Amino acid sequence: MAITADVAALFAERELVITRIFDAPRRLVFKMWTVPEHLVRWWGPRGFQTISGRMDVRPGGVWSRSMRAPDGSVIRKHGVYREIVMPERLVLTYITDDAAGNPGPETLVTVTLADLGGKTRLTLHQVGFESVLAREAHHAGWTSCLERFVEHLSANAA
Amino acid sequence: MLPDHLSTTYAALADPTRRAILARLAAGEATVNELAEPFPMSLPAVSKHLKVLERAGLITRGRRAQWRPCRIEAERLKDAAQWLDHYRRFWDDSFDRLDAYLGELQSGEQKDGDNS
Repeated sequence: MAITADVAALFAERELVITRIFDAPRRLVFKMWTVPEHLVRWWGPRGFQTISGRMDVRPGGVWSRSMRAPDGSVIRKHGVYREIVMPERLVLTYITDDAAGNPGPETLVTVTLADLGGKTRLTLHQVGFESVLAREAHHAGWTSCLERFVEHLSANAA
Repeated sequence: MLPDHLSTTYAALADPTRRAILARLAAGEATVNELAEPFPMSLPAVSKHLKVLERAGLITRGRRAQWRPCRIEAERLKDAAQWLDHYRRFWDDSFDRLDAYLGELQSGEQKDGDNS
């Protein structure tokens, strides 16, 4: 049985956390996420162009956005809004399809806005498919297998 | 953009049964019969999923005998895990633009930003 530590990393809770402070009131920063005319002005790296989009900003509502990359390829991002608490919290699922239309891993994005008296601290939290993988392992009743697996790895790493 | 093999990997990972199979294989090698056991589906259906995983390079299968045990391929999964870096760049770039855009909105017509 060949096991490497790389696989263990995949079963850990992997997540992305980005914090930024914007010199703008919280209400305005929240609108940047929920009003399409604003969103298209900043969403995506420079050089990416939004070619179509849909935003049904309510719990259960679908969002999608197709963008043209500088190399001409088209990337579609899509998901479902889970939670909208104006003006402080936004939770959505987020999937990026590749140029061939194959869906990437499902991720969950949580945006939290803190009012700093005129400024706003934005915290973006994104968790992805390794966590989904672990969750499904749990559902399938394999949690103990995974736990043993991780123990085995830590024992070997020590 | 994502290399081609990553597209195949993500497509293979998009299916919950295949992710569950991978989670099982993370605990060690298994035969098709063992893998099929927890799923309410036929052996051929499970074999089909295994073929997709194999094509994506996420698993390999032994050549010996009829057992052909399956095992997980860590390297390809590691590549797939690098989506995090991809997203970090996406957000960092986007937030740079958001910062500039907010500045523009507020220095110009503040009301525009507030009323839309």
